[in-house]
Formats: sequence, C-alpha cells, structure tokens
Amino acid sequence: MDTSREDFGIAIRSAFLKKGIQQRFSLLALIIFSIILIYAETIETKPLEYVRTFIKDVIYRSSAVISSPSKGFSLIASSVQSHLNVFNENVKLKEENAQLKEQVYDPDFLIFENKQLRQLLDEQIESSPNIISARIILDKQSPYLNSFVINSGSNRKIKNGMAVLHGKNFVGRIVDVNFFSSRVLLITDLNSKIPVLVQPSGHQAILSGHGMNEPTLEYLPKNHEVQTGEKVFTSGKEGIFEPGIPIGKVIINHEESGNAKVFVSLFSDMSQIMFVNINIENNSN
Amino acid sequence: MALSLKEIKLKILNLTPLLLLLFISLNGNSVVDFKFFSINLHYILIYYWVLKQPQALGYGFIFLSGIITDVIIGLPIGVSALTLLVIASVATYIRVVTVRVSLFYDWMSFIPTLLLANSIFFVALYLSNYSIDYIYFFKNSIFTFIFYPILWIIFRILINLTKQISHA
Repeated sequence: MDTSREDFGIAIRSAFLKKGIQQRFSLLALIIFSIILIYAETIETKPLEYVRTFIKDVIYRSSAVISSPSKGFSLIASSVQSHLNVFNENVKLKEENAQLKEQVYDPDFLIFENKQLRQLLDEQIESSPNIISARIILDKQSPYLNSFVINSGSNRKIKNGMAVLHGKNFVGRIVDVNFFSSRVLLITDLNSKIPVLVQPSGHQAILSGHGMNEPTLEYLPKNHEVQTGEKVFTSGKEGIFEPGIPIGKVIINHEESGNAKVFVSLFSDMSQIMFVNINIENNSN
Repeated sequence: MALSLKEIKLKILNLTPLLLLLFISLNGNSVVDFKFFSINLHYILIYYWVLKQPQALGYGFIFLSGIITDVIIGLPIGVSALTLLVIASVATYIRVVTVRVSLFYDWMSFIPTLLLANSIFFVALYLSNYSIDYIYFFKNSIFTFIFYPILWIIFRILINLTKQISHA
C-alpha cells in the first residue's frame, strides 16, 4: 500500500515538477500562471488593460495574416460553388420573383406604418455623422462565442456596449475594445440578451441568442398576440441602445406539445457581413 | 555549415507538430466543425505528442497556443491555456506510469483526460460568467474520443517517417 502511494507520488512529481526532456518550463509553474491570468481578467486597471489590448491587437493581426490563405481558398471554393449553382439559383429566383409579385405591398401603407412606428418609438432613423464603418478582420465560427473582430477600436472612440449595425439592422454589440480592434458579440450568441419591442402588437420582450441563426423572444406576456411576420426592433429600454433599430421578423413555431416558440428571422445574414456601422454618439457603459 | 537535404527534411518533420499547434491556434481551428459533429483537434494533438514525443511540443508552446486560442475565440485569457496544460499533465503522468504502449491503452486513457480537461474548462468558464452549449460540448467530446485512433495512425506514420529518414 505504502509502496503504491510512493510510486504515485514519484509519478506526480515527475510529471508536474520536472521540466522533462528539452522543456524550459515546468507544468506546475505554467498551470499556476494560467490561473493567475484567468484571475487577472477580472481585475480592471489601466496598466493591465494596456497589456491586454496590446496582446490582443498583435494576435488579431497575426491571425488575420495567417488565416488569409485559408480565407482565399474558401472564397475560391464558394465562387466555384456559386457558379455550379447558377442554374438552380435561377429557377429558385424565378419562383421567388413570382411570389414577390403576388405579395407587393401598397407603398402608402408602408409609409403610414413607418410614420406610426417612428412616432411610437420616439426616435429618428437618420444617418448621422457619428456613425463609423469598420471592416471585419476575423470571423471565426467558434462553438463558444458567435462573434467577430472588427478593425476599429478605442482609436476611433469605440466603447464597450455600443450597438453594431449591418446597414441599418442591429446585429450585435461591442464587448471588448482594444486600440485598433474590437470584438462584436452577435445577437445569435448564447450570451446575448437584448430588450426588444415587437410591432405592431407592441409587446416588449428579451431577444435571446442560442448559438443558432434564429434567436428567440423570451419574457413575452402570457397571453400575447404576437403573429408571424411582425417586426422586431430594439426597445431602447434601460438606455443601452437607441430605440427602433430594426432586427428581424417574427416566426412562430408550434410544437407538438401545444406550446408555441417565437423565433426571430434576422434581417441581416450573419455569415455574409463584411462591414458594419457603429453609432459612437450614443455612448453606453 | 550548410544543411543537407536529409537534415532539412528531419527538421521539417520534427517541427510539424509545433507548426500544426501554432497554426490551428492562430487560424482558430482548434475545434473543427463538420456538418453534424465537431472534433477538438487541439486536445488530440497535445495528448498524442506529449504522450509519445514530449520533445516535439514544449509546455511553453502549449501555453502560448492556449493564450492565442483564447484571444482568437474570445474567451477569458488563460482558460484554454489551463485546459491544454491539464491535458499535457495527464499525458505526462500516463507516459511516466505506462510500460506497454498500445493504441487501445492510449485511447482508453484519453477518456479520463477528456473528462478532467472539460471539467476544468466548464468550471473556468462558469466562474468567468460565460454561457456555453453543454450538449454541443458533450457531442464534441464524444467525437473527439471517436476520432482519436484516426489521428493516432496519422501521427504514427509521421513518427515512422521521421525514424526512416534519420536511419537512412
């Protein structure tokens, strides 16, 4: 019994404390250093912030360079694929065109609806000189975070929490700012919870990401009358974002148990975004 | 003194695991996502090479690779580094206590390694207030385990090739 315990001790010491063949660091030292780094992430001091942002900027740029060949390959592959799909796409587009022709809305109604929405949301959807555009430099489909990195940071007055738009559609918010880059957390991510307003029913809800393309509406009133096709906007509640930024359209999915799940089909295709706009006027914490 | 062709080939082959480690970190491919499943290439790579040829992958590089992965993916800095070092620790321990080497034994000992690494990963993310999809991770761990023998064979071929060239 004692011998086996001794053997175990020797094996553990040998694995953790000895540097081993051609190793410069011991495992235990590196593990302790990693734990310190995780703890340091929670500390917010200027010097640490500077070190973090510098490291992140350097890694983002290096990654953009390293992944450029694979990005090029995937672009070539998708271009070849799109050429191969031209015929099918043509048939599909013809069908869609016919459907759209059947569904042409009266423009007067749309103008009226637009005016009504503006009044309701008490906001102005106008392009502002305070909107800055940024290019996506890293878009890694990660199982942990649905996010991407843009090429603007504190050098262009970007701050944490700012709304990120694709055209005029809301796609996410800034969660991490460095000198020359920032991370955008997409609304599809598991960690994303956005207060929204559903129009015309006027219900307020929380748009919750699930890592998939269509986030869901949560905390709707019990007997809500939300219908498929209703539009979802940011509510501006709690002053986080401007009110009235369009997000998507409601899709109601009736389950076998009788419950209905309210999904939101986003106006912007997250996989096709190359440039985004950030409104730096409305600064949030 | 100029390097001979044989020496260049050997250098490239010896550096392959390290280059692969840094490439998958910088390219953000630590988890390779297929249509219906995903595998964690990072875990398999580190476990195999630390177990078989520890001199091919320095612990410092494993740590650096984890830091890069955290920054690229957007996790708190240190989480992946800690997880990868735990995998390296278990692999080192298994190497120390193992006498007989076989694919089956390596494969079976990969189960506790994955369990321990994922537990530490979950705890670190939980303490950092990050939500993750547990079902996705469960499936990922299963397929990482299933795919281990395939990569074991590929890496084995690489080691044999290195041996052949060095003996030639």
